[in-house]
Amino acid sequence: MERTPEIFEKIEGYLANTLSQEDLVAFEKEMANSIELQQEVEKHRAIHETLGDKDILNFKEQLGEISIDIKEEKKITSSFIPSSSWKIAASIIVLLGIGSLIWRTTTSRNQTQNLYSSYYKPLPVNDMVRGSFDTITEVKSIIKHYINGSYDSVVLALEKHPKLAEQQQLQLYLGNSYLNLNEEQKAASQFKEIKKKGKYYEIAQWYLSLTYLKLNKPKKATSILKEIVGYDGVYKKQASNLLKALAK
Amino acid sequence: MSNTEDHKIIEGIATGNKLVITAFYKKNLPYIRHYILQNSGNEEDVEDVFQDAMVFIYQKLKTDSLELQSSLRTYFYGVCKNIWRNRLRKIKKLVITEDLQTDAESIPPKIIEDIEHKEREHIYRKHFLNLSGTCREVLSLLFQGNSMKEIARITGYSEGYTRKKKFECKQSLIEMIENDPFYHELQLNSEKD
Repeated sequence: MERTPEIFEKIEGYLANTLSQEDLVAFEKEMANSIELQQEVEKHRAIHETLGDKDILNFKEQLGEISIDIKEEKKITSSFIPSSSWKIAASIIVLLGIGSLIWRTTTSRNQTQNLYSSYYKPLPVNDMVRGSFDTITEVKSIIKHYINGSYDSVVLALEKHPKLAEQQQLQLYLGNSYLNLNEEQKAASQFKEIKKKGKYYEIAQWYLSLTYLKLNKPKKATSILKEIVGYDGVYKKQASNLLKALAK
Repeated sequence: MSNTEDHKIIEGIATGNKLVITAFYKKNLPYIRHYILQNSGNEEDVEDVFQDAMVFIYQKLKTDSLELQSSLRTYFYGVCKNIWRNRLRKIKKLVITEDLQTDAESIPPKIIEDIEHKEREHIYRKHFLNLSGTCREVLSLLFQGNSMKEIARITGYSEGYTRKKKFECKQSLIEMIENDPFYHELQLNSEKD
């Protein structure tokens, strides 16, 4: 059906109930003979009804603006490379004595965040000893959520899990889930729960160091990384590389 | 998340408090991004799903029908995931696996129905907001029940120009909607039903 201004006027008049009796009868007759016209009227009706709610549209528009603001903010943070004017401005601030502190804090935060993004990979399930899980349906379901990235579900299932204290694997999953939900403090506490005697100690220390990196605490991260290098286990190489990157 | 915190966020969303909404956005977007990118989506899908879930919650608050049986965050993640699964299913990218179905963030079936029902609305709003400012102004006034004469008076355009603009804008909006692949799938699915 070809869309014309006349058809739109008729449909809008019909929907707004402003057609004369004569026009209404004629339009209804026309509709009765055309499925296409009926569909077109329904399309207009649905659009009018949905978009007539200005309040929801305003809210949606506000979300779009917020999204743009967040992206802009991110761009500014991630591309913090001083242009010539910035250099001049920075020099003045340095002369005033406070600039260097601001500069160091910001670049250090960027550096640690970038390093965190480069080195952090969620603990793969393949790395775990799976034998003990296979008979426990509940734990299998938790692992599925973990693999799917449903970290909120993992936290919900594990936070009050009665066997959490005995199962260091579960503690590692929980810690990783917290990290992905930006709950770094809880992640750090979880990784600290895994004590030296356990065979998962090194893994826990690796993720604890990354947690501190994410929290922009490079000194704490460095100290743990040195320990991992000394431990001489599977994370030695990664820890060593990360230490070098942090020292730059 | 405590009930008090949830209450503050809910109040912030309901009143359009920019600070509260921005904080909620920043805190929860990474999780949704991770989920969608891991499940065949792209960055645009992430923003669409996140915002549509926020609108869904806002609508529930407006009609006083938000019933939280878990934390707000859990509910919100459940809504996002269901929106995304629905869309994947419609565009036939989703091979429904047990992994994606069994989810502690699952939400009541009634809400899942609501989500499906609102899909067309999300498409209408998305394309409407992509129109020019003039089109949005003229069409908004039309959708709120104003006559051409009233729209011309409010906007300051002549009645003839208002009519012409209204037709062009509405035609363009309908075409944008019809060209949306997801809308096409929704149409096909409703015809099958």
